[in-house]
Amino acid sequence: MEAGTIASAGGRGSALHRSPAARLPDRVLRWGLTALSLGVIALIAFFFVKLILESRPVFSQVGLGTYLTSADWVPNKALYGALPLIAGTLITSAIALVLGIPVAVATALYITELAPRRIRGPLTIVVDLLAAVPSVVYGLWGFFFLIPKLQPAERWFADAFSFIPFVGGTVTGPNYFVAGLILAIMILPIASAISREVIATVPREHKEAALALGATRWEMIRMAVLPYARGGIAGGAMLGLGRAIGETIAVTLVIGNAPVIGHSIFQQGYTLAAVIANEFGEAASDPLHRASLIAAGLVLFVLTLCVNAVARGLVLRAERGRRPPEMAA
Amino acid sequence: MSAVAFAPISARRRRVDKLARGGVALLTGVALVPLALILYYLLKQGLGAISVRFFTTDPTGAFLGDPGGIKSAVVGTVLMVGLATAVAVPVGLGVAIWLVEFGRGSKLAHAVRYFIDVMTGVPSIVFGLFVYITLVLAGVGGSSFAGWKGSTALALLMLPIVTRSAEVVLLLVPNALREAAYALGAPRWKTVFRVVLPTALPGIVTGVLLAIARAAGETAPLLFTAAVVNATALNFNDRMNSLPALIFQNVGQAQDRLVTIAWGAALTLVAMILMLTLLARLIQRRSRLS
Amino acid sequence: MQMRYSKVLALGSAAALALGVAACGSSKSNSSTSSNGGSSSSSSAALNGAGSTFQAPLVSEWANRFKSSAGITVNYQPVGSGAGIAQLTAGTVDFAGSDAVMKPEEVSAAAAKGTPVHLPIALGAVTVSYNLSGVRSGLRLDGPTIANIFLGRVAKWNDASIAALNPGVTLPSTTITVCHRSDASGTTANFTKFLAGQSPAWARGPGTDKSVQWPTGTGARGNDGVAGCVKQTSGAVGYVEQAYALQSNFTTAAVKNRAGAYVEPSLAATSAAGEGAKPPANLEFSTIDAPGARSYPITAVTFQIVFQDVCKAGRSQGTAASLKSWLTYILGPGQSVAPQLQYAPLPASIQRMAQARVDALTCNGQPIQAAK
Repeated sequence: MEAGTIASAGGRGSALHRSPAARLPDRVLRWGLTALSLGVIALIAFFFVKLILESRPVFSQVGLGTYLTSADWVPNKALYGALPLIAGTLITSAIALVLGIPVAVATALYITELAPRRIRGPLTIVVDLLAAVPSVVYGLWGFFFLIPKLQPAERWFADAFSFIPFVGGTVTGPNYFVAGLILAIMILPIASAISREVIATVPREHKEAALALGATRWEMIRMAVLPYARGGIAGGAMLGLGRAIGETIAVTLVIGNAPVIGHSIFQQGYTLAAVIANEFGEAASDPLHRASLIAAGLVLFVLTLCVNAVARGLVLRAERGRRPPEMAA
Repeated sequence: MSAVAFAPISARRRRVDKLARGGVALLTGVALVPLALILYYLLKQGLGAISVRFFTTDPTGAFLGDPGGIKSAVVGTVLMVGLATAVAVPVGLGVAIWLVEFGRGSKLAHAVRYFIDVMTGVPSIVFGLFVYITLVLAGVGGSSFAGWKGSTALALLMLPIVTRSAEVVLLLVPNALREAAYALGAPRWKTVFRVVLPTALPGIVTGVLLAIARAAGETAPLLFTAAVVNATALNFNDRMNSLPALIFQNVGQAQDRLVTIAWGAALTLVAMILMLTLLARLIQRRSRLS
Repeated sequence: MQMRYSKVLALGSAAALALGVAACGSSKSNSSTSSNGGSSSSSSAALNGAGSTFQAPLVSEWANRFKSSAGITVNYQPVGSGAGIAQLTAGTVDFAGSDAVMKPEEVSAAAAKGTPVHLPIALGAVTVSYNLSGVRSGLRLDGPTIANIFLGRVAKWNDASIAALNPGVTLPSTTITVCHRSDASGTTANFTKFLAGQSPAWARGPGTDKSVQWPTGTGARGNDGVAGCVKQTSGAVGYVEQAYALQSNFTTAAVKNRAGAYVEPSLAATSAAGEGAKPPANLEFSTIDAPGARSYPITAVTFQIVFQDVCKAGRSQGTAASLKSWLTYILGPGQSVAPQLQYAPLPASIQRMAQARVDALTCNGQPIQAAK
């Protein structure tokens, strides 16, 4: 009844009866945007396919198995074994996680739970500013400042704690540890931002219940906040990991660029991203070398894909499990 | 109601609480130390190079004489990032609008979101490599290295960031606003452009600024696609200089004056990105939606 | 609220526009680069080169002076000799800078574009630089000892083999850290050529090439990377071109030459190594381990490589003209600039041979008319 009496805004007659011509912009918009989205999918698919096609020479001549498991990367002898690169990528990323995530979670906790209200805003901005420093600056700072400053401490640590596996032995200037440390600083803002968001979604009632039961502040965090936010924090960690795996410039300046698997975290190595940056120039006219570098890019792509899939799984599981607790009768 | 007597908190628990809270505060402080160190180092190394002339002269590459300034790098970064933004923002926004307004819940939307997520995880160097193979080596456009090819790599990098953040913000626009518009007879397109987008604008602008900040600092994709030159290039089909590439190339040069230029450029780049990030955060905090 | 944001956007775009106009305005006073197509006849085509970091300081200075004298822009990317050669073959640059002669397989890979011509442009010293507190420049080292250091067989600075060559010098017990190149480098090719000639173990093992499998040490990009590596690590040793060693104030070793004398790298010693060199007609020669009592044994010839028929290789006529001017400049007036950067100019006879080869370059079969 009312619909027929509402004066239409556009003077086109009742809003319920729109001419096909008037519907045209809507349809154009819809199909235009659909085409755009399909186009984006096509672009990404093309990207993936192109990488696979370009890397085929190395898989046919060297073989996927050898490529992934051989430890000899000697381009001028046409030996392409990416194991040291994969190992280096994983080692530095693992160090980045171990060093970076606890600090990221701590900053998130501090900002959301413990900090005085007035400094929360500025503190958030400052932590996020870490993301504003470009990777080339991180790498240069790491090379010129951090490496010389850390070397004596690393040597002392390696000597004092040499009973821990992968710690004792020679200490080189650029090494896995410094690369991992720089990566940890770089993933801090992402992981902290996501952890902050997740911790902020913990229901008040849970926290108040813990406090009402006599828990101290820290116990409340331990009992009510962290278990609830665990999934999201893990998801944020995985996203940070994805960023760490692909970081190129910062790592190549501080890892030593030696295609070997170091025996300790204080020795040098190489990563997939760094080898691409160092060798792509001379591979311009050597198809096999170029294919092996593209294959390295592909492996990198697949690694980040897996890590992202795990991250999404964790976040989804955390969101699904967030049902109100059963009320005791 | 009888008063329930709780046992007083034991000294041990109080200690643990203090220690844990202190530890968390300490770790937070630790997180801030690198930023302070880096900024201090940058200022120490690069401040000496900063002057008006620094920004208005091109680098000369001269070893024996005056090394010039960084004008071509600043212009190149602005141009290349600008072109990348001009391409990535409409496309990214378009995809986000489609995801939220038209395709929500459909299987295609799932696929699109998955692919965009995949794209977020691709390292920037793989994008650079891709553009190198498909555009530079193939000589597309009659040139080998070119500014627009660098922009392509940057646009690929920015696209998923813009799409993701725009999607999040568009989802936050209350459905009631949309329904009110429909109820008043507005067609879909009007609702999107006159109601939804303006409401979401601050959040979208934040996402775009963050994507720009990210693209401006990327070196790896530009190494393979735009090369490094000294003269200011305004033709996108020419090689273009850029701040990250200039820094990377000059910082190890066998000439002190050139090294100082590189650090001055690093300081400039960090300042630019910091300003963009701060602007983005300020807009975000004043937005109605967050 | 909405109005304020659109104002912000308007302001932002206005600022961007203003910046663009300002850039346009100020660059009109400088000459902007013209595209590779070379369609404009008023300004000559810009040249693009890439390659050796060994010659980069010299090329950089030359490019700057050439721009003032001839008005032609030369862009040079120091990416390493290997990458330079690869880019020349791939057609993305007009000339390659390389300290290593192209290998047969590289020449055949480039055959589709034509015959590469090697033009020597200068001589430079590959110094053995070390970072050792308390030890002055001029530590005596001979070929076999250097090879053993880089093989990892000599682990500490106070090793007997080093001490034997340097009686009277107090050597600390610091561990030796080797710094080498991680990218394909002509400097590496020259250095390993020297080592292979002095040490059978080196010849059998890593061998001679632009990039070898290093038994020990840290890899860095470019001469500048190795210089940085040496500078930061106490006890480090690395091979860097003279200009980089001077810039970083390195202490450099006095290396034993063929005549048995220990010679420190210097302009005089580098020139001495070039004296009396008799290159073949294709100018692909080396001055490693040159004879002469005052020669520095690790002196490298550095080249610029172009194709014999520049236009058939894919360059435009304008580019060919600019290229000829550039090469004539660096082989002529440019040679007097080299000593200022501690590179030795070519001996007169070799310079004449190189100039003759430049004059013989063609564009689609026709001789090239130089641009300036």
